[in-house]
Amino acid sequence: MIAWRSLSRRKTKNLSAVLAVTLGVTLLVGIQITTDTLGNAFLTSLLQSEGEVDLRVTNSTRGGYLGTADQESIEELVPDAVGVMPELSTQIPALVSSQFDPKMEAAGVPVDYPDAFGKFYNWKTGEQMDIKILLEANKSILLSSKQAEKLDLNQDTTLPLSLDTEFTNLTIAVTINATSGLPIITPVQELLTVELQIVGFFDSKRPGIGSQYSGAIFRLEHLQEWISLQDPMRETDIVSAFLVAYKTDHFALEIDEDYLRTKVELLEETIPEEVNPQTSKTQKIYQVTSTRLDFFGFAAFFITIMGTILTSLGFLIMLTGVLLITNVQLMSVEDREFQTGVLRAVGSSRGGVFQSMIIENLFQGIIGGVLGLFGGLAFGQAVALYLVALFGTGELSVQPVVSQEAVILSVIIGVVLSIVTGILPALRASRVNVVEALRGIKVKFKEKSSRNLAAFGVLIIIVGLVLLLYNGVFEETHQVFWSSEGWDSLEEWRMLMMGFGFFIGGLGLVLSRFMDRVKAFNITAITLWAFPSILFVVALGNWVTDITGFSTEILILGIIEIVIGSIMFVALNLPIIMRGLRNVLIKIRGVKGVGQISPALISSHITRSTLTFAIFAIILTLNVLVATLIPTNLGAVTQIEEDSKGVDFAVFLSKPEAIIPGTSFSDELYKIDDRIADVIGFKTFQPNLDFAKFIALEDPLSSEFDSSTDLLPIGTGEFKPGQIRGNASDYSNPNWRYAFYLDGFPDGVRESLVSDPSDDDLLDLSKKAWDQFFDPKYNMAVYNVSSALLAVFTGEIELSDLELGSAGPGVTLAVDPLEGVEPLRDVSGNLVENPIVFTDSFLLPVGLQIWIPMNTSSLGFPVYQAFTIGGSLDSQRAGGFPLGAGLGFGGGEPDFSAILGTLYLPEHWAVKTNFLGEANGQTLTSRGKDQYDSFLIKTNLPIDDPQLEGIAQAIEEFTNTNDEGYRLLTTDNFFLASSVLIYSRIQSTLEMMDRITSFLQIYVTFGLAIGAVGMGVISVRNVSERKREIGMMRAIGFPRSQVILSVLLELVVLGIIGLLIGVINGLLVSMGFANMQNTALVIPWEELGLYLSFIVLIALGSGSIPALAASRIPPAEALRYVG
Amino acid sequence: MKKTKNKKDQAPQKPILTISKLHKRYNEGKPNEVHALQGVELTVRKGDMMAIMGSSGCGKTTLLNMIGHLDRRSSGEIIIDGVDTSTLSDGQMTAFRRDNIGFIFQLFNLFPFLTAVEDVETPLLLRGINSGLAREQAKMMLRELGMGDRLYHLPTELSGGQQQRVAVARALINQPAIILGDEPTGDLDSTTSSDIMDLFRRINKTNQQTLVLVTHNRWIAEKCDYIVHMTDGKISRIEDNPLAKEEKKR
Ligand SMILES: Nc1ncnc2c1ncn2[C@@H]1O[C@H](COP(=O)(O)OP(=O)(O)OP(=O)(O)O)[C@@H](O)[C@H]1O
Ligand SMILES: [Mg+2]
Repeated sequence: MIAWRSLSRRKTKNLSAVLAVTLGVTLLVGIQITTDTLGNAFLTSLLQSEGEVDLRVTNSTRGGYLGTADQESIEELVPDAVGVMPELSTQIPALVSSQFDPKMEAAGVPVDYPDAFGKFYNWKTGEQMDIKILLEANKSILLSSKQAEKLDLNQDTTLPLSLDTEFTNLTIAVTINATSGLPIITPVQELLTVELQIVGFFDSKRPGIGSQYSGAIFRLEHLQEWISLQDPMRETDIVSAFLVAYKTDHFALEIDEDYLRTKVELLEETIPEEVNPQTSKTQKIYQVTSTRLDFFGFAAFFITIMGTILTSLGFLIMLTGVLLITNVQLMSVEDREFQTGVLRAVGSSRGGVFQSMIIENLFQGIIGGVLGLFGGLAFGQAVALYLVALFGTGELSVQPVVSQEAVILSVIIGVVLSIVTGILPALRASRVNVVEALRGIKVKFKEKSSRNLAAFGVLIIIVGLVLLLYNGVFEETHQVFWSSEGWDSLEEWRMLMMGFGFFIGGLGLVLSRFMDRVKAFNITAITLWAFPSILFVVALGNWVTDITGFSTEILILGIIEIVIGSIMFVALNLPIIMRGLRNVLIKIRGVKGVGQISPALISSHITRSTLTFAIFAIILTLNVLVATLIPTNLGAVTQIEEDSKGVDFAVFLSKPEAIIPGTSFSDELYKIDDRIADVIGFKTFQPNLDFAKFIALEDPLSSEFDSSTDLLPIGTGEFKPGQIRGNASDYSNPNWRYAFYLDGFPDGVRESLVSDPSDDDLLDLSKKAWDQFFDPKYNMAVYNVSSALLAVFTGEIELSDLELGSAGPGVTLAVDPLEGVEPLRDVSGNLVENPIVFTDSFLLPVGLQIWIPMNTSSLGFPVYQAFTIGGSLDSQRAGGFPLGAGLGFGGGEPDFSAILGTLYLPEHWAVKTNFLGEANGQTLTSRGKDQYDSFLIKTNLPIDDPQLEGIAQAIEEFTNTNDEGYRLLTTDNFFLASSVLIYSRIQSTLEMMDRITSFLQIYVTFGLAIGAVGMGVISVRNVSERKREIGMMRAIGFPRSQVILSVLLELVVLGIIGLLIGVINGLLVSMGFANMQNTALVIPWEELGLYLSFIVLIALGSGSIPALAASRIPPAEALRYVG
Repeated sequence: MKKTKNKKDQAPQKPILTISKLHKRYNEGKPNEVHALQGVELTVRKGDMMAIMGSSGCGKTTLLNMIGHLDRRSSGEIIIDGVDTSTLSDGQMTAFRRDNIGFIFQLFNLFPFLTAVEDVETPLLLRGINSGLAREQAKMMLRELGMGDRLYHLPTELSGGQQQRVAVARALINQPAIILGDEPTGDLDSTTSSDIMDLFRRINKTNQQTLVLVTHNRWIAEKCDYIVHMTDGKISRIEDNPLAKEEKKR
């Protein structure tokens, strides 16, 4: 009864409570939807490239082929499949007018492939394409819309259009040795230039088979013919893989991950074995790969990371929703204590009061919940739209994923929350002392705690101690906290922070039994804030150098402690702070009266004030953190720029430069622009599917060797002393031409690595390492380390479990990674020692033994040379990075092998491989001593000079214009140069960062909106319940303007307190990230100014209307108002 | 009007407050309209100490609010110290009120979030007086009222009489020409009430401040120079109180 009546009477108050719940639930639902949608968007964009293919069956030897005959036996192995289809795939160069793609995907598909794989649809008209007719001629191909865009073609390009490509044509010349009379067999390889006809574009963004192919489509038989040219026997029955689909329409409904996994495992088991005639080992006759399954794993992994970040952020933001709801509920009690007192005085039972308040809460909760549901759906929809822009995928565009359970759960949480936050105040209200309520006495906070509370404190202290002791005592892999090693990993910090948090919290409770509560809790607050601050300001980047393992939640834990500690501290000291503010204001003419009122009002409602500024404190901590990320990372990137030692851009040729007597590509470049100061040429080589170019992770001659798991497609490159040392003779000479940094060092150098080395230390060690690298007599022992990737191949670990970076460059520097690792010995006990190679691959740890194919024997088999990985190039600093193929250089999409990285050989060995240097001087793929394909270019312009673009363009024009410039010089139109400005790479990194941060910004901005609305709600209620005070102010002579000012001042002050806490905390946390990256913290003044104006505007905006309205009420009217 | 001759050494007292044809209607034009003041005519001279009595709901508080300009009148004229207040803007009126009128309300007189001394010094601060000086004056005033040991207490920590004394201190601090009190001794015991009345007498005598007090209490009213009786929104009778006047002269 009372509840219903009060519901209808107290309109603004109920409205504000409903609004608070609505916002809270909107936040919960919205963030839930966003996280799910993001996961889906990511998965969709990954799976897109797989079309309807669930798995592929290939030859068990990497790079080997299958034949048509295999179809039948494979079909028997997959009885449940809805489609099995042969496919031949390769990469070919493609030239359309002057647009060139050195590695276009080409696939041969049967024209009568099963329907299960979908159809090809015309890019322009959307109509189904009849490939049987279109691909009639053996030079006819279809091009994917994706590839077409890459080649600068569009829907309206007139077809057919010619596309030039090359196929290898291998013939065998047999001559008779004049003296011995024996036949000499000489293989002759030549490149056959073929003019293909593009007869149609298919839509590669369309679900089905279209999305599975990103390059050109041939009729299967035609591609077989073209590829068979490289086989002297002209064998045309070649198939790369049989594609298997277990269901249709994967896009409408994705296949079940577990179902697919069982299928794959089952298939792997049932594949028959045979004896390999070369190794006389038994092996499976087929190999099964399911990229789809890998994607699932990878997506899960990615979503876990993103999910952790988003959930933690979301949690913090949702916390603000909770604060808002609590705040509004608490107000209800405060302003109803008087009424409660009256009710109780006239005989209402305690239960009655409680009940009436709960009914009211329930009502507010449910209405708020329903409204919040709609709000959340709208929010999710908006974010999904944004995601479309981010992952934009045409028809496969991102749909908001609304999982019913999640949404229902969020709504329930919100409603329950509003009720729970209502119960406490309701309880308080029902317990209210009738006399005190009638007199308006507020509960004081000064008394000491009860014994119960102190006992509880002791309990919490014990929990804290247990957590602190967890490291080292219970968990052996961590070190105890009283040793300095106990503070050097984030995992340890997790326990340290949790343990310390509990310990300090408990201590506060216990102390509050013996001393003033405010003092006791002040101690808790300060230490709670300071402890994680140490992590961010001091430990990160100094003690803790490794933040891999995706311990974001630990960082979030730190942020939460910092935020709670600081809010608590300010709340406890609010009276002091406000007294200070008052003392300042009452000295200033014109605001003396206001100075008397507003600060006193704030400190008289500590809980309400705290909840108000806490919302802003949390949100702004996140905002400042996000805003600082970009400029600070810019700092990190400019560090790289500094380390690039004058290199302004890199130029990559699509194939090694031609050998031209009297000149070279480098020489020609100097002629293009006299601002070019130095051109450093390098040889690199990316393998395609020719198994001779795979490196081996196991001795190919041993019985252990398994060709299906031990071969790794990795790039190869060469370093010559001249490229690195210039005219410096030893490492101490400063005259190095390009100082590649290493972060993994060979024996003899690695040992002098100190913990937390400076850049100079690292450069010094790197130079020593280069001396060993260039020394042909230097050998290094092999260590008992294994490649993480090998473990993935052999199925020991999942791709998603791979700890990226843990063995990689730029991360673990502090300690000798091989300390305590046994070097390998042969059967007679001698150390196994090899020449060294360097790598930029994060998969190959220092000390690992690898085998590189050096030459091809007369039978066509590679001859392997064993090496030890002697060092890794530091991709964070200079080194590796301008060349690092994995970083997406040279245009196009990075392929898998490129991502795996590159191995670098010294010239001594490079010239012995038939793909990097001269093996026999005859084969097509051998290279001249100075035949480079990658060039680092220094100019005398600064790195960010816009003129560099022009120079780079001039180089591209010189190389890429048909029958002119370099193409004329070499009489070869198949050269393509692409240039990458180091600075533009910095910018593109930033753009990526920008995208991610802007996504995070959506989250935090939403929090800011909550804060704004919350402030509005609070100001409306503040004013409405202070009418009497306002009347009194007017009566004793406050002008109307001062009344308004006092209302606004209160809100502005609270907002600014929140802002200050947020800015300080946000910068503090950012400092940790900056330390981590060894850069200076960049303070985003502009954003800070923006936040300040935003806060002030919110305060003014939300306060002015109620304040204005209140100041208009005749004082007599206002004075009549009680409660 | 005849009372002028009673003042011996002062110049003839001019009226500090003249009210004529004052009407106040609440909820004007609505069915629940209340005609609270129905043509009040009243003249108060400087230095008068006057009591208003009347049954509950007769319009006493309304009249005080009109005098203090805490609410808009429906019609009529109020002249304070020779100023026709209808010519003043809201801002001017506020300043006028700040400097010339002190209020003591019926209930909840104080800001719940200010200590006694802060409450009392606020009107001084509003006039732009130096904060240190204001604090000193406020303390002095409170001490004078016997509140010296309750300077830093919040209203909730004070008894009803103490609260009322703080309210009096705040009303007096600016030395306003007129002090309006709506049952200033309403819920106080008789000793405290009489203390406060003595206080009023004293300031009335020494500072020539005019006091207009609403009361239900005959005994309180009899401490004033004269008593204005109200019935149904009109002044029905003015009762002279020669006893009090005699005392004042002494
Ligand atoms: N804001 C208002 N709206 C409507 N009517 C009002 C309002 N304020 C007062 N009244 C009415 O005006 C009349 C006079 O009220 P007022 O408060 O002046 O009486 P009072 O003489 O002070 O009574 P009491 O001795 O009980 O305090 C009453 O009938 C009251 O109901
Ligand atoms: Mg009254």
